[in-house]
Formats: sequence, C-alpha cells, structure tokens
Amino acid sequence: MTSEAGLKNKIKRLVLWAGLLVILLLTGFSIYGAFRGAESAKGFFNSVPLSVYWLVFAILLISAIALFRRLLCFRGLFLIHLGCIVILAGGIIGSQAGFKIQDKLSGTDTIRSGQMIINEGTTERAVEFGDGVIKMLPFAVKLVDFRIEYYQPGQLIIRTPNGEGFKIPAQPGQKYVLGMDSTPSTSSGQASSPQADLGSVEIVRQFENFKLKREGNKRVAIEDINGGPNPALELLWKNSDGSEKTRYVFERFPGHSNPDDNLQFSYHRSVKDFLSDVEVVKDNKIVMRKNIEVNKPLHYGGYLFYQQGYDSDAGRYTILGVTSDKGLGIVFLGYILLCAGVFWHFWLRHIFGDREMED
Amino acid sequence: MAIKETIQGLLIYAAMAGYLLAFVVMLSRQRKMGRILFLAGFLVGCAALAYRWIDVRHIPLQNLFEVFLTLGILAYPISIFCNRVLRIGGVAADMLIGFIVLFPAGFVFNAEPQQLPPALQSWLFGPHVLVYMLSYILMTKAAVQAVVQWTGREMTGELLAHEEATYRMVCAGFPLLTLGLVLGSIWGQNAWGDWWGWDPKELWSLASWLVYVGYFHFRYMFGKKFSRINSLWAVVGLIVIIITLLWVNLSRLFPGLHSYAM
Repeated sequence: MTSEAGLKNKIKRLVLWAGLLVILLLTGFSIYGAFRGAESAKGFFNSVPLSVYWLVFAILLISAIALFRRLLCFRGLFLIHLGCIVILAGGIIGSQAGFKIQDKLSGTDTIRSGQMIINEGTTERAVEFGDGVIKMLPFAVKLVDFRIEYYQPGQLIIRTPNGEGFKIPAQPGQKYVLGMDSTPSTSSGQASSPQADLGSVEIVRQFENFKLKREGNKRVAIEDINGGPNPALELLWKNSDGSEKTRYVFERFPGHSNPDDNLQFSYHRSVKDFLSDVEVVKDNKIVMRKNIEVNKPLHYGGYLFYQQGYDSDAGRYTILGVTSDKGLGIVFLGYILLCAGVFWHFWLRHIFGDREMED
Repeated sequence: MAIKETIQGLLIYAAMAGYLLAFVVMLSRQRKMGRILFLAGFLVGCAALAYRWIDVRHIPLQNLFEVFLTLGILAYPISIFCNRVLRIGGVAADMLIGFIVLFPAGFVFNAEPQQLPPALQSWLFGPHVLVYMLSYILMTKAAVQAVVQWTGREMTGELLAHEEATYRMVCAGFPLLTLGLVLGSIWGQNAWGDWWGWDPKELWSLASWLVYVGYFHFRYMFGKKFSRINSLWAVVGLIVIIITLLWVNLSRLFPGLHSYAM
C-alpha cells in the first residue's frame, strides 16, 4: 500500500513537472509564432510535431484531473482544467488535421475555410481556397445588394509646400480660412500656429459619381446617377492675392494637384460599414435572408459567412469569408467552463465565503 | 515627443501633475495630502477621458493614446480597491504608475481623433479592451510588489507581505486576463470568421496568459520555498504584457490584424 502511494506520488510529481514544461513550451511556441507571422504560425501550430504536442497537452490535463484530488474538490480548478480540455478538443476537431481525419472517416469533403466572390444580383456556390482549389457548397448564396456606408462628412485634406496639413470637413457650402478655421494636422496630431496667408477654400459641391459633360463649348461637372462611383469635391479656392480658382478633388486620386498650385488637395471618406444583403437558396427556394456585416456573420448549414472584403473600385461585388463551424460550439463551451472556473476559483468563492477545501 | 497644446492635453498634464505631486507628498510622509492629490489627479483624468469620449463619440479605447489615458485613470480606483479590500499596500507606487502610464498619452502618442473602422464596431470592443486594461494594471501592481520583495523590504501594519500580495494581485488580475482573451477570441470569430487567427497580438496575449498559468503551477508545486522565483514569474508576466501592448503594435516586426490599434 505504501509503495503504491509512493508510486502515485511519483507519478503526480511527474505530471506536475510535465505540466509546467508543457506550459513553458507553449509560451515559447507562442512567442516564436508571433515572430513568424499569422500565416506561418498557423502552419507551425498545425504541423505534425505540434499535433503530437497538443495531444500530449490534452492527455496531461486529463491525467491531472484523474490524479489530483484537489482538482476534483475545488470546483473552480476542476472547471478550469476541464475547460482547457474542451477547448483543445474543439480546436483539434476544427483543425486542418481534424478535418482530414473526419472527412476520411465519414467519406465527405467538407469545406474548412475559403472565400466567395459574388457579383450583385448573381448566385454563387463556389468557395475558393488560397491555393486556387474550388469546392461547391450544398446550397447557393445570392447577393441581392451590396453597399458601402461612409462616415459623414468626408474630409478635405490640404497639404502646403512646407509639409503642413489641414483637415477640413467636406460639407458643401462651408468656407474655411486656411490655418484659422481648419484643423491643422501634423504627424503627431499636435496643433500648430495658424497661417493666414494661404487663402480660403469653399466647398461648392460634393459628387458621388463625378462626370464631365460638354455643353456647347464648355465642359461642366455633373452628378451622373448611372455608372460606377467617382466621389469628388468641387472647391472654390481663393488665394491670398485675391484670385479665385475652381478645383476638383477626386477620392480615387489622392494628392493629385494642378502643377501651378502651391497646395495639394485630397478627398477622403472613412468606411463606416459594408453590407451584403444576401439570400440563401436551397432547392430553388429562399431559405434565409440576411444582411452580412463585419461582426455580423451569417450562420447556415454548418458554415459561417462573414464580410471579408469588397470591390474597392466600383462596389459591385462582395467577398465573403466562408468557414466551417465544426468544433466551434465545443470551443465556446470550453470558454464558458474556463471563465466560470477562473472567476469562481479566484473571485467568487472568496466573496461567497465558500472556502471549499482551503489548505 | 511633443506637447499637446489642446484642452485634452492640458487635462492630461493636470492629471499627471496631480499624480506626481501625490507621489512626492506621499514620500514626504504626508499621506492624507497625498491621497487628496491622487484623488484630484484621478478626477481631472476622468474629465480628460470624458472630453475625449465626447470628442470621438465612441468609448475611447481605440488606439494607444486612448488606451494609456484609460490606464492612467484606472490606476486610482484599482489602488483604492487593492488597499481597502485586498489589504495590499503600494499606494505611492500606484501614483507613480498612474503618472508613468499617462506620460505617453500626454507626450508620445498621436491624439488625433479617429473614426471607428467596421471591425471595431462591435459590442465586444469596450468589454474586451477594458478587461484587459484592468488586468494590466493589476498585473503591474503585482510586479511592483514582486520587485519590492526582491529588495527585502518588509510590509508593516495590517498589510500583506509582498510575496502574498503579489499572489493576491495575480489572482485578482488573472480572471480578467482570461476574460479578455476569451472575448477577443469570440470577437475574432464574428469579425474574421476564426476564433483563433494566430495573429502576433493573439499569440503574445496567449504567452502573457501562459506566464501567469506557469506562475500558479510553480507556486502550487513549491509553495513559498522559492519565493523570489515566484515573484520572477510576475515580473516576466509584466514584461510580456508590455510587449503585447506596445511592441506588437509599434514594431513592424509584427504585422497583423490588430495593426489599427496604434
């Protein structure tokens, strides 16, 4: 009996040391992965040696629960370790290797992650991977509408020859004396002393789709409701010598300037949101409708569709990231267990006076 | 380094002055006056934060300027909580911590207001960053206690000994560090479709979490037998936190999904 207890103690000691080693190794791997960058780190953590490491980690956690009575008596500690096991299990199920094994066993060909490029008004089933491989979803996604929302107003950015910059809200009808009403913008974001000799700028018009139209001998700027976007501003720039010039500033050509001008103008609008209004079509029936936004993915048929990108030139197509939800629920369950355990063990049991088996 | 000649900047400088004066006064053993000045610095800091919040129209935790401003303000309530509830000393050190973290907000980081990019427009934005900030201040206090332990100074009165204080501080901060990591992962799932993206910031955050996991295991294995090594874990933890918070965002070595947080 004594030798049995001694052996058990030796094993416990070994598990503790192995646990500490595993923690130190993962810390080192994480730092190493951070230096390698996300893509490379992903490959590293999914490699065969690391797969063995994850397995050893999981076995150690299970052994710890089996060996240490303390872990069973302290609810919090038990939940923390159980949570880690569940997270690891979810991670393994959702990993590249996990997918391969599951597909081999079930004879399926699941899409783990990829992206869909869908034009407005069209329906798509193809999911493309980084290496050019295409797989088909068991249903289709139709892009009904795609739109980009911008923060209002946009900004007119003016740069002087000496490198000083001004940011002005791009609101039609507004007039700004440069250096007096406008916000100076330097690299450090600090205020600088006003300069009164740069003249003034009046924002005359704002265009969503700027076009030039010939009217007799003159060419006039118009807002074209058809065609792709060409956001622009029409400015009336009054120089310090009293002369007036009309200038057009295009969002797509930042910093473009007239060679005679001593100021450089840019028009910038910050993207507030981009949304894909989609329909999920299965067996020729619309089974789901959703506005996919950043932070608001669509969840259907075991896949998550999230807003990854868009056609930055004309805004006519959307890029949706597609990932399988395999293992996701398990990981989130692990998170709940981990957080419940950590908060209970370190905070709540002290507040509620439950000292459990405090040694 | 540049001086901010704005109302925002002046409020930060006033808060910094309050913290620094409080620290100096505390060192000269005028504890009551020191605490009053600490409170004054905190209140002015709150005004700076409120001013920023109104100016940018979102919770000011978007970039390093806003994060350090918030950290500077959190120093006071955490100090009071630790002193009164956890019986942990080091109030004078907290004043200095408040001053040090406000310094980059006042002189180093760009204060130009920025609009929230789509990825940051999530209900998780505030809680994720805020719990991290709270845990970072607690872990900073833990590291301070650890360093004081190394100097061999004993704590007097009803306050806890430094090794025990370090442990208590890590116990207080660790759940928040865990929650920050978990909330970030859930957010990553919503925004980028993956609950773990192997991004440098994520990996450094995991590394900092693991250092404290290692601390708990080491302390469980050896108790207070190697109390100085126990404290070394807490100091290493803070170093990794500083790298996570600053180096990862400022260095070009770590390009990643968190690059907007500059």
